[in-house]
Amino acid sequence: MLRVRGLSLRYPNGKLALLDFALTVEAGELVVVLGGNGSGKSTLLKCITRTLKPNAGEIWLGNTNLCVLEGEKLRRARLELAMIWQQASLVRRSSVLTNVATGALGRHSTLRTVFGGLPQSELAAARGYLGDVGLTDLAAQRAGTLSGGQAQRVAIARSLAQRPRVLLADEPVASLDPEASEDIMRLLQRLARSERLAVLCVLHQVELAYSYADRVIGIRDGRIAFDLPRAEVSRDAVRRLYISEAA
Amino acid sequence: MSVVARPQATDPRAGGGWGSALTIAMRCVLILIGIGVAIQTFIVVEARPQDLITGIHGMADLIWRAIPPDFSKLPAAFWPTLQTVDIALFGTLVGIIIALPLALLAAANMTPSRFAYYAARGIIGFTRAVPDLVWALLFVTAVGLGPFPGGLALGVHSVGMLGRLFAETIEQMDMAPIHALQLTGARRLQVFGHGIIPTILPSLLGISLYRLDENIRSSLVLGFVGAGGIGFQLLTAMNLFQYQEVSLLLIIIFVVVLTAERISAALRERLA
Repeated sequence: MLRVRGLSLRYPNGKLALLDFALTVEAGELVVVLGGNGSGKSTLLKCITRTLKPNAGEIWLGNTNLCVLEGEKLRRARLELAMIWQQASLVRRSSVLTNVATGALGRHSTLRTVFGGLPQSELAAARGYLGDVGLTDLAAQRAGTLSGGQAQRVAIARSLAQRPRVLLADEPVASLDPEASEDIMRLLQRLARSERLAVLCVLHQVELAYSYADRVIGIRDGRIAFDLPRAEVSRDAVRRLYISEAA
Repeated sequence: MSVVARPQATDPRAGGGWGSALTIAMRCVLILIGIGVAIQTFIVVEARPQDLITGIHGMADLIWRAIPPDFSKLPAAFWPTLQTVDIALFGTLVGIIIALPLALLAAANMTPSRFAYYAARGIIGFTRAVPDLVWALLFVTAVGLGPFPGGLALGVHSVGMLGRLFAETIEQMDMAPIHALQLTGARRLQVFGHGIIPTILPSLLGISLYRLDENIRSSLVLGFVGAGGIGFQLLTAMNLFQYQEVSLLLIIIFVVVLTAERISAALRERLA
């Protein structure tokens, strides 16, 4: 589903962020990326969403190479690619339901959605996605009133409304308590299975990776340190990712 | 190991000697400068408090002749009052319509180019720098006497005031939800309609209501230069020594200003 080949990025200041990076995430799979601060995890996600343009490499989403797309073609390709962040990034004054439904904006005409509001079909679908994340009761509530865990669930529902094939998550539980973190990871795992989503999730919590990932990718200094099924990832290999950072 | 207490930099005893003397000298100089500035204002404005005391009879005579207010002129005052309020409403609406797109161009986080940024900032700065009274004189020359030049003057001046505040609001907006919407594949206008507008609308409405409140006060003054409304009525009544009508008009102005202020404050409170 998502294939990255030979991805390299050097920042204008000369710092190497990614070098010859390669990974594959299949539909229904939850892959966790582990690594120290500044190792290139978030840069990898920014390259995949094309917020950053890599210097070299290919990013295949199905049969589409995102690296060669610009403008309208890139926008259309992004419809298949949803992203959630550490902060839920919701429009605080809009209702929970509206926030979820805005995930589908890109699939509808500009005039209709700007002047006619969100289509009824999308609002109905948004209720369904809220049901998927267990928040149907909060549909009418303002997003600004939600707790961190609830807001993150709404952000996930918004990404589902986008009807993506790939879900990218950049430290989605970093600002949540342990219980809420487990909830979110369980939800991502369930959605990967039930919606056949390819989920690529950057984490700092090693234990969560051991509990929920199908595969774990270790990243150090912009290079892949290991890419293994969860059961084969040794504690030593993970520890070395962070020792390298300290050194 | 013994712990020796060292004087902290914030300890007043620490900066003794020359440092302390210099600080005291600087304070004395600043106080003298302050007193000097205050005294020169009295000289420049030719302040003569004794004139106020000797002239109090004239003021008292004027007030005496203004009592009681001539309430028989109340129906005739209705139309100029409506004109005054509508000049302010018109000016505020024109200001909002022009200021919003200008503010988007003048906000560093939204502008499509540096040229658009500086051009928008230039227009906003110019319309704000020229006082509304000057704009009114210009428009009276262009379109003649009446409420229309008053509305235009307030509109143009409001572009400057609203444009600057709108741009600042947009620049201070939380960009995370906007970036999130952009990455869903939403188009620019969709991001504007469903991300930017809901985020900043309460602030924009609050600023606009405050501007309307200000414009109502300004529209009273604009009448003095022929831009219609109750201000023009007031000037005419004063020139004709109709002081009882003047006092009635002043009561109306007081009620209009106070009502507008209370409504504006209540609405802004609801939006907060």
